Amino acid sequence: MKMPERNACLVSMIAALLLALPMSTAAQDRAPIDVHSLGSQVGEHVPDFNLPDQHGRPQTLDSIMGPNGAMLLFHRSADW
Amino acid sequence: MELQDRLEELQSAGIGVAAISYDSENTLAAFAERRGITFPLLSDDDSATIREYGILNTVVAEGLGPNGNDPAVVADIHKYVAAAVFDSPQLRRMINGTPFPGTFVLDADGRVTARYFEEFYRERVTTSSVMLKSGIGLSPIAAIGGTTAHLNFTAYPSDTVVTNGTRFSLAVDVEPGPEMHIYAPGAEEKGYRVIGFNMAPSEFVRFEAVEFPQSEIYYFEPLDEYVPVYQEPFTVIQEAVVNASAEIEDVMEEVNAITLSGTLDYQACDDAICYLPVSVPVSFTLEFQNLDYQRSSSR
Repeated sequence: MKMPERNACLVSMIAALLLALPMSTAAQDRAPIDVHSLGSQVGEHVPDFNLPDQHGRPQTLDSIMGPNGAMLLFHRSADW
Repeated sequence: MELQDRLEELQSAGIGVAAISYDSENTLAAFAERRGITFPLLSDDDSATIREYGILNTVVAEGLGPNGNDPAVVADIHKYVAAAVFDSPQLRRMINGTPFPGTFVLDADGRVTARYFEEFYRERVTTSSVMLKSGIGLSPIAAIGGTTAHLNFTAYPSDTVVTNGTRFSLAVDVEPGPEMHIYAPGAEEKGYRVIGFNMAPSEFVRFEAVEFPQSEIYYFEPLDEYVPVYQEPFTVIQEAVVNASAEIEDVMEEVNAITLSGTLDYQACDDAICYLPVSVPVSFTLEFQNLDYQRSSSR
């Protein structure tokens, strides 16, 4: 049976979709972000740093550290 | 800024503090001056430290990449970036390089003892709540206290001022009376009431996990049973979050205070008698402030 032209077109569209499929499957395999698993975990050391403070003074993990520990807060921005 | 208010207590507890963001030194200097901030604000303007700490918000880059329409990526944008931010090219550039906001609590060797990262960008744990959970000397404010036949208690919120998305705690310090033991988690299997807040549902506040300290196993001779109990002073912490949905924000525009009511429930026994479960009414009123959208440019 001769395939009408329109159907042939449909077949090639489906073929194109099927070819595109592996890519979108790969995207769906992406593990969702789990913020709790990012960075140093309880019991692990955090990396050292050397950053200027609001007065331009360099600060490191050591210079911030108090005798009993420290709290490091990461913010999106102080500006917005 | 809430952290500034707690600075003295943190310092006397021997805890150093720093806040890190990708802002320039100038931005931080202006912010510190405007808000009267005296603790170090650190400028990580190329986000190198944020990257090294492994907490760079990668969702923006993903959303701009080839998988930008992937439903999982879109869902993460709604959780971690805000669709409105993502829709605006200018805001998108602004947020690129920011971290997932969060707090590390470190011991004196730089080891993590606790960490708090939010699953929804609009929610933020308060410094006071972090202090409370980390056992860093927090002096109770707006406390309500009481004495029953079995115990003394002091109940208080970690924070007295909240806004949309504030993650805070309700705490109760309990001192069992002489010879008394108070039932701890696990005792419900033996039919006892475990101590805890039983708060009425609130339109504005969602109650989350309850944190219990380590209990001890007590041998109750009259019934020949072993049950988890508290006999020494202890603290139970109920976590709570102020609703941060866009819909509720409109409703809350006229709200100045949130009252949370409920009971502190517990059951106590001494070495001979098991008393009936007790419910003590408790109520906390928190000042509510609408989100502050003030920016340095609007000065």
